Amino acid sequence: MSARRAVLLVGSARPRGTGNSEAIGSYLLERLAEGGMDTEVLHVSRTQRPEKERQLLQAVDGAELFVLSTPLYVDALPYLVTRSAERIAAHRTATPVPSAVGFVALVNCGFPEWEHTKTALEICRVFARQSGFAWMGGLGYGAGEAIGGRSLEEVGGLIRSLRQGLDVAAEALLAGRPVPEGAQALLARPMVPSRLYTVLGSIGWLRAARRKGTLGKLGDRPLE
Amino acid sequence: MNKGSDVTHATVDQGAVLPATRAVVLNGALRGDETLAPIESMLLELLRETGAGVRDFQLRDIPLAHCQGCFECWLETPGLCKVDGDAGREITGALIGSDLMVLLTPVTFGGYSSEIKKAMDRSICLVSPFFRRVGGEVHHKRRYRHYPALAGVGVLREPDEEQERIFGTLVERNALNLASPVTAVCVLPAGAPPTVVRERLAASLEPVLGHLARRVA
Repeated sequence: MSARRAVLLVGSARPRGTGNSEAIGSYLLERLAEGGMDTEVLHVSRTQRPEKERQLLQAVDGAELFVLSTPLYVDALPYLVTRSAERIAAHRTATPVPSAVGFVALVNCGFPEWEHTKTALEICRVFARQSGFAWMGGLGYGAGEAIGGRSLEEVGGLIRSLRQGLDVAAEALLAGRPVPEGAQALLARPMVPSRLYTVLGSIGWLRAARRKGTLGKLGDRPLE
Repeated sequence: MNKGSDVTHATVDQGAVLPATRAVVLNGALRGDETLAPIESMLLELLRETGAGVRDFQLRDIPLAHCQGCFECWLETPGLCKVDGDAGREITGALIGSDLMVLLTPVTFGGYSSEIKKAMDRSICLVSPFFRRVGGEVHHKRRYRHYPALAGVGVLREPDEEQERIFGTLVERNALNLASPVTAVCVLPAGAPPTVVRERLAASLEPVLGHLARRVA
């Protein structure tokens, strides 16, 4: 059995199998598994009860690599991820850490520009520092909603550069090196021009609203 | 809903004409952390001196579900989170009805505490799902005509320039996405003497306190 182990924490609150963060994180984890790592996937929404939280802490402590794949919520990590990070940091500063664990963060957002994720990635870096993890780098990805919760292979050529960037990241991580800058450069390539993305996004909202019967209400101001 | 922990400080004087709530403070202290309490007292004092009514939410004592990322607040019940029966709608209503929102938080990895994040994540119903372009970046369009100014007051246990910088950036990014007309950031060391706290709060928050005073007048 391999002694190398990677743990993925999916930061989305969406049901299992439907989130873009899960799709991105799972793709990286599969590459790590192909490289000989044992892998485990945990969902942050299922680690909030005390016994599940203990499992998360044990899994992270026993890993060589801790991977967080999360959506961006209001310019930063979502509540559930922040809460888990607080608990992990408290645990790892209060308890002798059994071994060096690397930490890598993947943050995706619904805006076309990946730059929106920069602040969250910086928060991840500080979390790594304060929790005794070796910072292995972070990757930001814009237009995450285009994945639609599908596996990255299923989405096809539209997100080829995302897959390529994750391949580059996996190769480095398997070699024990931090994610190289070239990986972010690949993820930064827009899948479609920004203006087209926002037009398509707006059409998507309008179609969804028509299905729900709320087409004329999207601009409502119920709290005014 | 448990309203016992939110305090409308405008109701101090019995029989007086009460000032309207113009400022909302979200206190994001985690359970067991009392380092924010003296800073909060000073902050409330400064806010009241503008003549504004102030509403203060102690988030750790308030039942509030986390955002599920379902976007139903944009599609199914536009402008309202589908979760009813917790304090979410009350807090977002207070925020959008105010002239200033203040996020008081322990600086957590450079960002907000989980308590603040829980409330902020629920605020996406305040903007539209559609897009606008600001400085070459895409952001969400405004839903409302009026948005509050935004101030972030962070408390650091140890001096940490990196966290201080990230915290400032986060507040600025939030202000951009929430269309706040004025922004201010103040980072204070935990346990600072009251005179230092007051001085630094007054100096750092001057832009938003001035904005609030003008709105009250």
